[in-house]
Amino acid sequence: MRSRLPQIFFALSTLALVLIVLAVWQASTPSWKTYQRNFLQLEAQGEPSAVTKAAVLATPPEIHQVMLTGLQRVDRCTTCHLGVDDPTMKNAPEPFRYHAGLGPHIPSRFGCTICHGGQGLATEKDAAHGKVDFWQTPLLTRDYIRASCGRCHKEGDVPGVPELTEGRHLFETQGCRGCHKLNGVGGSIGPDLTEEGANRRSPEWLEHHFIAPNAVSAGSPMPNFHFTSEQARALTYYMLSLTNEEMGTYYSSVRLIPSPEYGRQLFVEKNCIVCHAIGGIGAKSGPDLLGVTKQHSPEWLDEQLVNPDLVYPGSSMPEYDLETNARKALVAFMTSATPQDAQEILSGKGHTLTPEDAAIEAGKRDFARFGCAGCHGTELQGGLPNPNAQGGEVPSLLHVSDDYTKDEILAVIRNGRAPPLDKASGPTPPLYMPSWKNLLSEEDIHHIVDFLWSKQQKSKESW
Amino acid sequence: MNLIREIWQSIVRRDPLSTDKGKSELVFFNVWLHVHPAKVKKENLRFKHTFYLGFITFFLFVILLTTGIALMCYYRPFPPQAYQDMKDLQFVVFMGPFLRAMHRWAAHGMVICVFLHMCRVFYTGSYKKPRQFNWVIGVFLLLLTLSLSFTGYLLPWDQLAYWAITVGTNIGSYAPIVGGQLRELLLGGHSVGEAALLRFYVLHVAVLPTLIILLTIVHFWRVRKDGGLSRPVWKLKPNKTETLVTIGAPLEIAPLKTGPASKDKTYGLMEVVTGKPIFETVTPEEEEDAVFSYPYAFFREAIALMVTVTGIMAISLFFHAPLEELANPAKTPNPAKAPWYFLGLQELVSHSALLGGVVAPALMVIALLAIPYFDRNPSRRPSDRKWALWLFSIFVVANLVLIVVGTFFRGPGWALIPPWVHVVAGAE
Amino acid sequence: MNRRAFLNWGTAGLVALCAGVGVSLGAVLRFLVPSVFYEPPQSLKIGNPADFPFGAPTFLADEKIFVFRDRDKGFAVASAVCTHLGCTVGYLQSDQRFHCPCHGSVFGANGAVQHGPAPRALNWFEVTLTRDGQLRVDKDKVVPSNYRLMV
Repeated sequence: MRSRLPQIFFALSTLALVLIVLAVWQASTPSWKTYQRNFLQLEAQGEPSAVTKAAVLATPPEIHQVMLTGLQRVDRCTTCHLGVDDPTMKNAPEPFRYHAGLGPHIPSRFGCTICHGGQGLATEKDAAHGKVDFWQTPLLTRDYIRASCGRCHKEGDVPGVPELTEGRHLFETQGCRGCHKLNGVGGSIGPDLTEEGANRRSPEWLEHHFIAPNAVSAGSPMPNFHFTSEQARALTYYMLSLTNEEMGTYYSSVRLIPSPEYGRQLFVEKNCIVCHAIGGIGAKSGPDLLGVTKQHSPEWLDEQLVNPDLVYPGSSMPEYDLETNARKALVAFMTSATPQDAQEILSGKGHTLTPEDAAIEAGKRDFARFGCAGCHGTELQGGLPNPNAQGGEVPSLLHVSDDYTKDEILAVIRNGRAPPLDKASGPTPPLYMPSWKNLLSEEDIHHIVDFLWSKQQKSKESW
Repeated sequence: MNLIREIWQSIVRRDPLSTDKGKSELVFFNVWLHVHPAKVKKENLRFKHTFYLGFITFFLFVILLTTGIALMCYYRPFPPQAYQDMKDLQFVVFMGPFLRAMHRWAAHGMVICVFLHMCRVFYTGSYKKPRQFNWVIGVFLLLLTLSLSFTGYLLPWDQLAYWAITVGTNIGSYAPIVGGQLRELLLGGHSVGEAALLRFYVLHVAVLPTLIILLTIVHFWRVRKDGGLSRPVWKLKPNKTETLVTIGAPLEIAPLKTGPASKDKTYGLMEVVTGKPIFETVTPEEEEDAVFSYPYAFFREAIALMVTVTGIMAISLFFHAPLEELANPAKTPNPAKAPWYFLGLQELVSHSALLGGVVAPALMVIALLAIPYFDRNPSRRPSDRKWALWLFSIFVVANLVLIVVGTFFRGPGWALIPPWVHVVAGAE
Repeated sequence: MNRRAFLNWGTAGLVALCAGVGVSLGAVLRFLVPSVFYEPPQSLKIGNPADFPFGAPTFLADEKIFVFRDRDKGFAVASAVCTHLGCTVGYLQSDQRFHCPCHGSVFGANGAVQHGPAPRALNWFEVTLTRDGQLRVDKDKVVPSNYRLMV
């Protein structure tokens, strides 16, 4: 035994030497070096003289990275995608091809992953493209890449991406917020969507989910809204753009300019006129907005738009999930707004508002904004399947005045209600009426009931 | 030339190694080597006696220290950066994946080897008088090793780390009265967060390594003072019970004999202290058995070192350390598991929180600490201590079974699923 | 086995071991050399030529450079790092000189030392035009103070 020791010692030290040499070799031959060598050869072809050719080929290999502090990311994609900002590489093979049509989105300022997805820190192909376990955002395919525009362009029309505008519009009108929270505003029956785009859900999954929720997520209480494939695509785009990332000012400044015109558009869209008047024209439940920018600083108004209750405790003004520039635009509009504007906005509605009409109008707005329409339908028709609830579906609201008094309905909205069971032994129905008293002011609840009753009368008259 | 020789002589200050005096002085005159005696018993060096587990554990710790210091150069203990630094180690730092893998696998290896070393010491009865307290130190070293591994587990700040620590610290919070507060103190908050990462980092790179180094010094020193390694069980004298008498041990067999110190000797201090020279009373047969530490012991230790290093390097070359998604407190993986060495406890907790969180770990630690004092049987021969061996074996096997079940047989929802059945995780 | 063979195997093993340790030390040294820098790169694009005004230089704080643009002479880029002990100098338009706040070094408009403890003139960096029409500054390439890029 003793006599073998030197041989064992020799064998082991040789093995150690081999292993450490292997480890060094493994570390010195990453795949990106091959790509850089190939690129240099490609580049050298274009050089006129042998001297410059040799100089190009002698470039030492190194990892290129773009530090994007404003986007909180580091992109190393250009370690292999070396021709991205070189127009002479227009016809080069991938991964060296020039990226045409970027406009102001230059790679040194924006990197790659903010639009394309993938793993910017990685330097190996599969890992960098995010096609590995444990990376939530793989590269977006051609079909979905334009959804990324919505990460910075959070407001208004995004040129060339009508899907985003449509998706946002559907989200706010179909009552999605009734179940889903977005940026802190909305219900809690479904998952919070604030960071939906950052979750590892494939675009295909999302799109399929909008068309048939139960097909991809068994037992999901989400009703089938019978979206068309275009609508499903639009909503998928919108979902993919929701990442809740901190963006530096450089990137937020490329968002929509907060012009008075945009503010006016929002003023119409959010139906502000049903509570506020401008110079006496309009409704009276909120303060008159003429000259409001002279009484309050822009910061004060901005805060009021973010959180009305904080500025005026007990204010009946609801919280709107408005972007920074949207609030700025509204303030800009209020600076210039005249009674004539109000008249025009009202005449666009086709009739002048009595206080009763104003309340009904406000109720209608709240009905859409807080997502009641998500379950009860935009026309109050109800009818979403709700297994084991009485009748097996969400009740229609067209005939509530026959079965309930106003006070009873007020109580149901305030406190919520579990639907009466069809079979007592059956499973709990997935959908239920949430309690709204912490989300809606008493005034809002009354407006909604007024709105419901206005619909009742209409349906009775037509009877 | 003379100058060079003079410089060399001033450094080594010993006779040539071809002489016995030189071989002894190599040990005596070297601060690092003199934890060894000049001569060791050949039989004690046999592989089948110790399996060199103590040495391997120590060498793994040395690997951990060196790779750990290297990794610290690229690590910032703050939540988002910590994870980004892991990605940097993986993708841009030269040899980063290799060093991280070495650190990771050496850490797992150390946990295993500490445990195996403890088993060896138990089965050879080496914790018996006069080594009782060194066993206790060993138990503390085991606990420190587990703590080091546990604190290091959080540092990558990925999902694996985050939830393993969340689950692991919650097991501890079942301890009565102080459990909850202890957890908050450790985490610096109510849940695993920025404060926890910093605290775990401080423990991992400063507090725990210092403690483990200090205790290791004491552990080694006591082995030396207790007469080196214990005798292999096959060399125990058949009829006598343990007769080893060493410095520091209460002298029950030979009463303290402090004869008048010789007037012409200066080294009599030892005799005054113990009345005995600093080695075991040995029979002539044993005297023959003794060999010089150089080269017999040192060569074998060097080989143990190289087996350890090459083994870890070979594993690290082919298997990289895992790294999952960035820690996400809002999304619990299913199932969320503690580090593997705590999975036995998690398994128990899944049946009874009190049993797994309080009773079992407390009993385990107390039982381990009490073993050398509770076991009054003076004999080290396996035939004399059947009960002890049986009990300990049951303890070891129970631990292993629970860990194996927790690691391989628990699927989503902590349901019992064999590893060969593939479970498709349900859509969220 | 005899003593000689013992020594030969042992010596060969020792040689292999030393080689292994040598490679490891080299590898660790290479490990400590950063492959990427979390700082502005030495060679960087600073934007379109049209972004820079004529007259007073544009100071880029992150990059620590002054970009001069002269209607007739074109572009030049000066380092804002004092050659004395590395403080950042400021440019006074009123007297057209660089002033270091730390130890009072003063540099002329061409970067030459006029006053104070600075041992050398300020560095001027090469500035070139990239293929996509942007200005690129390379801080690794120091040029004479009369270097100009005509655009």
